[in-house]
Amino acid sequence: MYQTNARVAKPGLLSQILSPSLKTREAIAAYIFLAPFLIFFSIFFVRAVILAVEYSFYDWRLLRPTRPYIGLENYIELFEDEVWWTAVQNTFVFTIMTVIGTTIVALAAAIAVTQPVRGQGFFRVLLYMPSLFSVGAVGLIWVWLLSTQFGVINYGLSFLGIRPINWLGDPDLVLPALSLTTIWWSFGFPMLILIAGLQGIPEQLYEAARIDGANGRQLLFNITLPLLRPAILFVTVTGVIAHFQVYGQTYIMTSGGPGRASYSVVYYLYQMAWVAFRMGYGAAVAVAIAVIMALLTTLQFLFISRRVEY
Amino acid sequence: MFKRTVLSVLFVTILVAALALSFAVPGTEAQDATPAPTETPIVAEIGSGGTHISFWNGLTGSDGVTLNEMLARFAEENPDVSVTVEMIIWNTLYQKLQTAFVANDPPDVILLHASEIPMFGSFGVLRDLGDQYTSGGGWLPDDDISATTMDGMIWDGVIYGIPLDNHGRGLWINTDMFEAAGLSTDPADAPTTYEGWVELFQKLTLDANGNNALSPDFDPENVVQWGYTVGEWPNVNFIAGLYQEGGSFLSEDGTEVLVNSEAGIAALQKTVDLIYEYHVSPPAAGFDTWQGFGAGTVAVLPTGTWFLNQANLFTDINSRAWPNWQFGSQPAAWFGAHTFMIPAATEGEKLDAVLKMIQWVSENQIDWAASGQVPARLSAQAQLDPESYSSNILLGENFGAYGVQDPKSTVTQEMLAYLDAELSAALNGLKSPEDALNDAAERMQEALDRG
Repeated sequence: MYQTNARVAKPGLLSQILSPSLKTREAIAAYIFLAPFLIFFSIFFVRAVILAVEYSFYDWRLLRPTRPYIGLENYIELFEDEVWWTAVQNTFVFTIMTVIGTTIVALAAAIAVTQPVRGQGFFRVLLYMPSLFSVGAVGLIWVWLLSTQFGVINYGLSFLGIRPINWLGDPDLVLPALSLTTIWWSFGFPMLILIAGLQGIPEQLYEAARIDGANGRQLLFNITLPLLRPAILFVTVTGVIAHFQVYGQTYIMTSGGPGRASYSVVYYLYQMAWVAFRMGYGAAVAVAIAVIMALLTTLQFLFISRRVEY
Repeated sequence: MFKRTVLSVLFVTILVAALALSFAVPGTEAQDATPAPTETPIVAEIGSGGTHISFWNGLTGSDGVTLNEMLARFAEENPDVSVTVEMIIWNTLYQKLQTAFVANDPPDVILLHASEIPMFGSFGVLRDLGDQYTSGGGWLPDDDISATTMDGMIWDGVIYGIPLDNHGRGLWINTDMFEAAGLSTDPADAPTTYEGWVELFQKLTLDANGNNALSPDFDPENVVQWGYTVGEWPNVNFIAGLYQEGGSFLSEDGTEVLVNSEAGIAALQKTVDLIYEYHVSPPAAGFDTWQGFGAGTVAVLPTGTWFLNQANLFTDINSRAWPNWQFGSQPAAWFGAHTFMIPAATEGEKLDAVLKMIQWVSENQIDWAASGQVPARLSAQAQLDPESYSSNILLGENFGAYGVQDPKSTVTQEMLAYLDAELSAALNGLKSPEDALNDAAERMQEALDRG
């Protein structure tokens, strides 16, 4: 074996800078490409988050020249506020209903549009389309659909002998009605994720199971759903994050009513920050919402990801 | 390959169309949920003069069209001035204004409500307009503005506003329904007691079998024509009821919230009873009052001066204005004042142009009556043609005689937001009037104490 004792001279610092290695050059290129995003992300997101935490310790009305430091008072007031806890409860109920509903509808739609039928692409586009609408348009459409006076849904129910239902005015129905609206609006994206998940399941598994005599229900529960768990986990985690921040539907369709039956945490944040102009308190609400969402996401990963089969 | 291409083109087309549709929606008077006689532009460029001023207001209904027409005439007569008018939904306008002031980039002139003067005045962002009144050596005669309206222009001894109008509450009645029920449509015959109003509403409330609410066979679960509705703007109705019962919103020194007084509870209880005791009004939530009136399912609509042009749009509904209801021992009707204010940052030739514009509009206020509102200047009110402006005259006289306004406080908007939620709870049967008003008062008092 050829050996040499000759020591390879290490390049000096200057030569390293002037003629960097390939790995260093790649790293530099990567940072240059990332820089625009990182700069904007730092200025408009990270800085905003840090400032929000800082502002939450102040009694700050937007235009007031003075901004006294009040320590944890905003947080103490928040945790003693019944309306906040009403909003938290409403938001949990809404999120649970909507995430479950959206996942089921998206899964059903995904299975339907992955069947080898004519017009498959058309139906995928059709089902995805509501996701493209702005929340303003969706809210107004559904206010009319659910209207007690002129709504198509109540009109349809009248043929079954059912008297008009006050969907948005009944405290027991308003959250399900908002959830229904949101499911219709937002199931398109999870449907796409689940379609991708379905397409990743090897066809041989189904063929083998069919040969063994499995029926459709067994295929669904013993092959499709277990192998879709990673996609379902992604859909539910992103769904919780998205729907816990429900705001537009509440603002447009119910203004948090009747009473405070549809107050959500973000609507409460809006009321405090942009109606009462209590920016410090609003910042405390925002921090609390962020903490709740971080906890929820962590819990989801802890409890659901254990059973995910990759 | 061809199929995929066609699908891709189709998808992109649908995507673009959907996006275009979604961007088009905010420009269609979404908040009012009713069509305007003429489309109100969100941003209007008026005139081409070299001195350019920006003007923000919340007149997103037909009144915005009327004001723009007036400003077009102003620009014709003053070719050196051009105006960019931005019409923004009121709630959003307040938010935009606050951020604009923080950024030190406010518009040159704004039209807000008198009730916002304490908040913006206390922050020191408005210009003192006392020198525009004759008492300060200016052009606007102090005695041409009613004492109540003038009081709303002042905060902490400083005059911050020049009023454009008095806009406030009254009723619009479906005269065909009145006649069918054998009731007089003459405003002079309006009841003056709660019992009288309840009886009137009962005669006008019909079930699917044609029985009115006084009939023993009346089916309250199957109403097809409502005598009244409680849903439109409950807080101003409550304020009127509160004063009718002899109460007041705040104590005289402005430090104590009094909405949960006996007077307040009585006022709210009477309104709640119209829904659940007498069945002459639907619950507040989930019922579109204007569309209900337009569809011929509401006989008496509690609304305001601004409804004139909307009433004219309902061409198959014969209607007229009536004075506000009187459920308590004395009459009262809520009114507010659209008011010009000038940010303290407006200076130089822009300030001169803004003042010229405000003076021109003020001196031509009689034209503002076309919006349905009541001109603020008493001289303009006196010139209104009774044929064309009967509702302006009728309701304007009431505001002068017994009008009440929002409380004067730096936290009025915050207090009203708390009141709104609790009124909604009471008017939808979720809380008793007493509980709702106690809860509202507690939160409002906290806001008042914070200042």
